[in-house]
Amino acid sequence: MKMTPTVVIGGALVILTVIVLLMVAWPYSTADMTPSEIYRERTEVEKAGFKIYLQNGCVYCHSQSIRAFDWGHGAHRIAQSGDYVGDSPIQLGSARTGVDLSQEGGEHPDDWHVAHFVNPRYTRPNSIMPPFRWLGEERIGILTQYVQSLGLKGADKRMDRQRYWKAESIKAYEAGPDANARWLAEIVPQGWRDLPNPYPTSDASLQRGHVVYQQFCIGCHGPVGDGMGPAQPWIYPPPLNFTILKGREISGGIIYYQLMNGITGTAMPYFKHELESQKIWEVGNYVAEYFINDSDANTEPRGIDAANEP
Amino acid sequence: MASIVNITEKLGSQAAAKAFTLTSAVWFAFATSFGMIAAGYLIAPDFMANIEFIQFGRSRPIHVNLVLFGFVTPGLLAAALYYAPRLLRTHLYSQRLGVVTAILWNLTLVIGVISLGMGYSQGREYAELPWAVDLMIAGLFGLVIFNLFMTVHRRQEPILYVSIWYACAAVVLTAVGYCLGNVIWKPDSGALLGIPDAILLWFYGHNIFGLLLTPLALGVAYYVLPLATRSPLYSHTLSLIGFWSLIVVYTHVGTHHLLQVPVPTWLKAISIVDSVGMVIPVMVFLINIWFTVKGKLGDIHADIGAKFVFTGTIMYFFANIQGSFMALPQVQRVTHFNNWVVGHAHLGVFAFAGITALGGLYFILPKITKKPLYSRYLADLQYWLILIGVSVMIIDLTIVGLLQGNAWLNGETVYRVLPEIHLYYVIRASAGLFILSGAYLGLYNIVRTLFFNPGAATE
Repeated sequence: MKMTPTVVIGGALVILTVIVLLMVAWPYSTADMTPSEIYRERTEVEKAGFKIYLQNGCVYCHSQSIRAFDWGHGAHRIAQSGDYVGDSPIQLGSARTGVDLSQEGGEHPDDWHVAHFVNPRYTRPNSIMPPFRWLGEERIGILTQYVQSLGLKGADKRMDRQRYWKAESIKAYEAGPDANARWLAEIVPQGWRDLPNPYPTSDASLQRGHVVYQQFCIGCHGPVGDGMGPAQPWIYPPPLNFTILKGREISGGIIYYQLMNGITGTAMPYFKHELESQKIWEVGNYVAEYFINDSDANTEPRGIDAANEP
Repeated sequence: MASIVNITEKLGSQAAAKAFTLTSAVWFAFATSFGMIAAGYLIAPDFMANIEFIQFGRSRPIHVNLVLFGFVTPGLLAAALYYAPRLLRTHLYSQRLGVVTAILWNLTLVIGVISLGMGYSQGREYAELPWAVDLMIAGLFGLVIFNLFMTVHRRQEPILYVSIWYACAAVVLTAVGYCLGNVIWKPDSGALLGIPDAILLWFYGHNIFGLLLTPLALGVAYYVLPLATRSPLYSHTLSLIGFWSLIVVYTHVGTHHLLQVPVPTWLKAISIVDSVGMVIPVMVFLINIWFTVKGKLGDIHADIGAKFVFTGTIMYFFANIQGSFMALPQVQRVTHFNNWVVGHAHLGVFAFAGITALGGLYFILPKITKKPLYSRYLADLQYWLILIGVSVMIIDLTIVGLLQGNAWLNGETVYRVLPEIHLYYVIRASAGLFILSGAYLGLYNIVRTLFFNPGAATE
């Protein structure tokens, strides 16, 4: 084969053309651009927030692409091509240094996001996301609007729920500690309210509870459980001050349920994706023992002691 | 214009190659500096908090774009601007045009860094640069193509050596692919809509390696290694097979970035088959070049340029084996979305193409300055700093990728795994310090060689 300039360049260009037609033009022209059932167009402010998302390279750490075998954040919906028909550029992402954001809208209320953007460690102590305080209040607000639109119609539904329970939780908070504690207990199903913490208190379990508290709770509830963590100034209703709960009949079951499911509408997220059962019981007992000073661990009604219990 | 004539004269003969050599060395230092900043954010996000220009989401694309278009590409082009006229038995069509290209190249990079730093990003990996900078880059490739083609046109040597094929194909295919991948007809978004945007992006993104860095690096290897060992090329047939199969196979693989995304299954199947098929162009090249230098490792060791380039070929082997492996869907279940891929990128772009580019620079420097290298010792030190740094980094990122991927598959959340990987980020940044030191040592050595070299003239 004689490699003349024409052969080299002509040949290379012919190959490239054929492959562009096959690998890009064909899938482009046959792409199914039917919107999925969650699709809607973004509002103007959401589009402005998307610009901020692009400018700051959020995509380098946050995917927007849930796979069939994912477990964590957003994994309640596997990505479909129809979810993306309005995205230009598409932000699927190539890394998950942070969580997937494809269904982020409505996972948290707006105030949680503001505290998180000001400094991610205020709400998530182990986060390695850089702070975005420098964006300023206005742009953080706009970016939050975009983030709250992720998941589109699914996000709208979740946001409606956030707004409804935000109003309820504010009402309860402003009615004073008695009413607030009562509300916090009453929103938990009866079965859980009657349940004491089944794990006996031990130094080792309190140690473990302490570790979980530092990794998940300290940003809002603070090191002494008074609700004065660094996120507090941005959050309303403010993080719960555990020390007011003494004598207000907060069972281990109530604490477990609220940790597991979160309190939608408030900045309290659910931890069922992140913490296994034992960890939730142990951090609950840590809070009851140290901050409420009123633990029902291992009291009646109780079943058969587990094999390892003293 | 007068000043360009001035600069060209000041740089003497081989002004174009010298200008590109300096460009590459300078931006290598800048690129690794931004890489260090990004690595620092992953360890301590509050350390350089709230500095808009360099925060992680900005310094990372600056790092990546500078490595691709500031360090590796100009470095490999510097060698090409030297070897093309020699292999064609003629002079470079225009040294002055080459110098102008290098000056504009630097200007474009400065504008690119400022744009990304200020947040003018199009938000597509490897295609972040805004439209105006895209146009400048396309124009720069046009200038290189013109200079190279006119040199080919005026050649005295009728036969084109394999390095010339690679150099010509690389710049032409990249000029086309760059415009296509950056959706240059849509200045505002620089993107298509929905899933087809992802397909085009990764077609383009992978071709930055496949049709730019790889062919240019292979061109350098095909030039440097036979010369350094004074051996004829092992096989012309293998050169031919390697060249054509590279262009055919590599252009198919981009969709392997989208195996877990709703894109057509046939497209995924093609990308997987061709990703595995990459062993053909790679092994054909390696067989050809390794048989060429067989038994001549002493010669390679004696020439610091050849030492770098030969190391690059070994890294090419690993990059290929790993790359083909991780394109398999079962493997990708673990490796996708985590630091394994970052390790692979450092293996391919830096350990293979980057180290080859450095080898090209060290090989041509004594020839274009007609003086020995300022310091062989510093170049050797740089070699070991870089080799140790990048090896530790790749192994570290591979381990941490496996940790993340397996934890996620097991149902652990991203947040839960963060404390486990912190130590690996520290090791990665430490390895980065080795590379950073290597980059600045190299810059010093190259500047001394180009401008302040006390050595006696060799010709």
